[in-house]
Amino acid sequence: MLLELGQIACQRGDGESGLRLEIPALSVQAGEAVAITGPSGCGKSTLLDIIGLVLRPAEAGRFRFGGVDMAALWNRDDRSGLARMRARSIGYVLQTGGLLPFISVRDNIQLSRDLLGLPRDAKATDRLVEALGLTRLMDKRPGALSIGERQRVAIARALAHRPALVLADEPTASLDPVHAEAVMQLLLALIGELGLSVLVVSHDWQLMARFGLRRIDARLSTGPSGPITRFAAEGDGVE
Amino acid sequence: MTDLRPRPARGSGRTILRLALADFGHDWKVSACLVLALAAVLVPLLVLFGLKSGIVSTMRDRLLADPRNLEITLVGSYRLQPDWFTALSALPETGFVMPRTRSLAATLDVMGESGRAVSAIELVPTGAGDPLLRDIAPPAGLGDILISRSVAQKLALAEGDGITGLLARSRDGVRDVLRLPLTIRAILPEAVFGRDGAFVTLELLALAEDFRDGEAVSFEAPPQDIAARDFASARLFARDLDAVAPLADRLRRDGIEIRTRANDIETVKAIDRALSFIFSVIAGIAVGGYLLSLASNLWANVERKRRELALMRLVGFSTAAVIAFPAIQALLVALLGAGLSSAVAWGVALSFNASLASNLAGGEFVCRLLPEDLAIAALATALLALLASSIGGYRAARIDPAESLRIL
Repeated sequence: MLLELGQIACQRGDGESGLRLEIPALSVQAGEAVAITGPSGCGKSTLLDIIGLVLRPAEAGRFRFGGVDMAALWNRDDRSGLARMRARSIGYVLQTGGLLPFISVRDNIQLSRDLLGLPRDAKATDRLVEALGLTRLMDKRPGALSIGERQRVAIARALAHRPALVLADEPTASLDPVHAEAVMQLLLALIGELGLSVLVVSHDWQLMARFGLRRIDARLSTGPSGPITRFAAEGDGVE
Repeated sequence: MTDLRPRPARGSGRTILRLALADFGHDWKVSACLVLALAAVLVPLLVLFGLKSGIVSTMRDRLLADPRNLEITLVGSYRLQPDWFTALSALPETGFVMPRTRSLAATLDVMGESGRAVSAIELVPTGAGDPLLRDIAPPAGLGDILISRSVAQKLALAEGDGITGLLARSRDGVRDVLRLPLTIRAILPEAVFGRDGAFVTLELLALAEDFRDGEAVSFEAPPQDIAARDFASARLFARDLDAVAPLADRLRRDGIEIRTRANDIETVKAIDRALSFIFSVIAGIAVGGYLLSLASNLWANVERKRRELALMRLVGFSTAAVIAFPAIQALLVALLGAGLSSAVAWGVALSFNASLASNLAGGEFVCRLLPEDLAIAALATALLALLASSIGGYRAARIDPAESLRIL
C-alpha cells in the first residue's frame, strides 16, 4: 500500500465560514489512479495539502506514505524530513504555474532531479519531453510560453524524477475543454507508462469518469459546530 | 518499486546556487541597480579613506624622512654607566644609542694638507645604524673621519684626502699638541649636519677627552676601557615615531632632562585621530543607510518571489536552501559592487595623485589605496551584505510551501 490515511481530521477556520475535514479511511495502492471530486470550497485542496505534506493534520490516527510514518514526522516537527519526503516521492502538478520564471524549460524540468542529485540523463526525460511536445521549447523561459505549454512543462517537471505519487490539483482548470481533455489524457498516460500513482483533484467527475479513475468523493454534512466534509471512496459505506 | 525513505537532497547546495544566480541574471535590471547603489556608497568612502591615509602617511613620511624627528636629545651632563647603555639599547623603542663625551671635550681642530685649518669643529660619535648617516658607511676605525660639507669647503678637501686633527693641552705651562693623522671617508651633506662638524668613532672622542684630562694617551695608544667607562651623555634615536614619547617618558623617570620634537609628532597623530574619527562617522552613516536599503531590497525581492520560493519549498528545498537564496544574491551584489567600487576609486586616486603631483615628492600620495585596503573593504561589504540578507532569509524561511498550491 502506497498511501494509508485513517482517522484524520483538520479544522479550517471557525464558526459559520469554518469547515471541518474528516478522512475516516483512504488508501491508494502503488500504480493506482484516484480522483478526488466534490464541489468548490468543500476542502479538496486542503485534503491535497495534507497528503502533499504541507499541512499538518490536527488529528492523525494513521498516516503512512510508502511505509514511512508521516504522522510521526509531523509530531517531531521534522520539517527537513518532510521536505526530503516531498522532494523524493511526490510530484506536484498545480492549477497554474508550478514553474520558476528565471530558468529555462529544460532547467525547470530538471529541477527535482537536480535537487535530488540525480544525473542529468537525457534518456530519463526525453520520453516526457517528446510525449508532451516540448522539444522545441526547451531553451525558452516559461514567460515565453502559452498557458497550455506551461502546463505541459509543469507535468514534465512533476514526473521527471519518477516520484511514487503524483498530486494534481485541477491540472487542466486553466485550459479550454479540448486542451483540457488532451492534457489530462497525456498526464494519465505518462503516469501509467511510468507505473506511478496519481491523485487528481477535480470538480469535473464526468472527465475523470471517462479515464476510469477510482473516485473519492466529498460528502457534505452539517455538524454541531459547522459544516463537515468527509472524504471516502465510493462503496466504502462510511457515512 | 522506488525507495521511499527520506534521504538527503544531495544536489541541494549546487542547485540553489544555480537558481540564485539565474534569478540574479534574469532580474538583471534590479541586480544592476543594487550593484550601482552599493558602488555609489562605497566609491566615496574608499576615496575618502584613501585621502585620509594618503594625507596622514605623507605627513608621517615627511616626519620620518628627517631622522632628527626620532632624536631624543639629552640636556646636561650625567654619569651614565655601561649597564645603563646596555639596558637602553635592549629596549624595543630604542633605534640607536651611542655614548657621548662631555660637550666641552668634544671638539677638534682640523688642518688640511694645504695648511689651512678650522678650529673647534664639533665631534659627533657614530657607529653602525646611525639614522643620521643613512646610507653613508660609518668610520671603520680610529683614523677615519666624516666631515660636514662646510668644513670640506673651507679646507677644499674631498673624499679620500688626508686631514690632520689637532688636540692641544697645557700642562705646567707647557703647550702639548697631539697630531692625529686622519682620512676623510665621506663628506656629509648639509641635510645631515649643517654646522662645522665631524662624525668619528667613539674611541676618538674618548681619546680627545682623556688627552684633555691629562692622561697619557696617543693615537698609537688610545684608551682601552671604552666598554667599561662612564659617559656624560648619549646620542639617542627612537625606533619609530610612536616610540619617541614612551622612550622620552622613560628617560624623564630616570631624572634625565631631554628634548624631542614631540609637538610635530603629536600634531600628525592628532590629525590622524581626527580624520579617522570623521571618516568613521561618515562611513557609519553611509554604511548604515546602505545596509537598510540593501536589506529592504532583498526583503522586497523575497516578497516578489513568494510564489517561486513557495514552489521551491514544495518540491522539497530545505529551509537552509531557501535562506541561502537571498544570501547568495547579497554576496553577489557585495562582490560586484566592491569590485566596481575598487576600480572606480582606484582611478579617482590615480587622477588625484596625478593632478596634485606638483605638490608631492617622489613616493608621496594625496590619495593612497592599498590592495589590502580594498580587500578588507570587499570582505566587510560581503559580511554586511550577508547580515542584510538575513531579514530576507528570515522572510523566505517562513513562506508556507502550501502558498504555491494556491493562486495568490
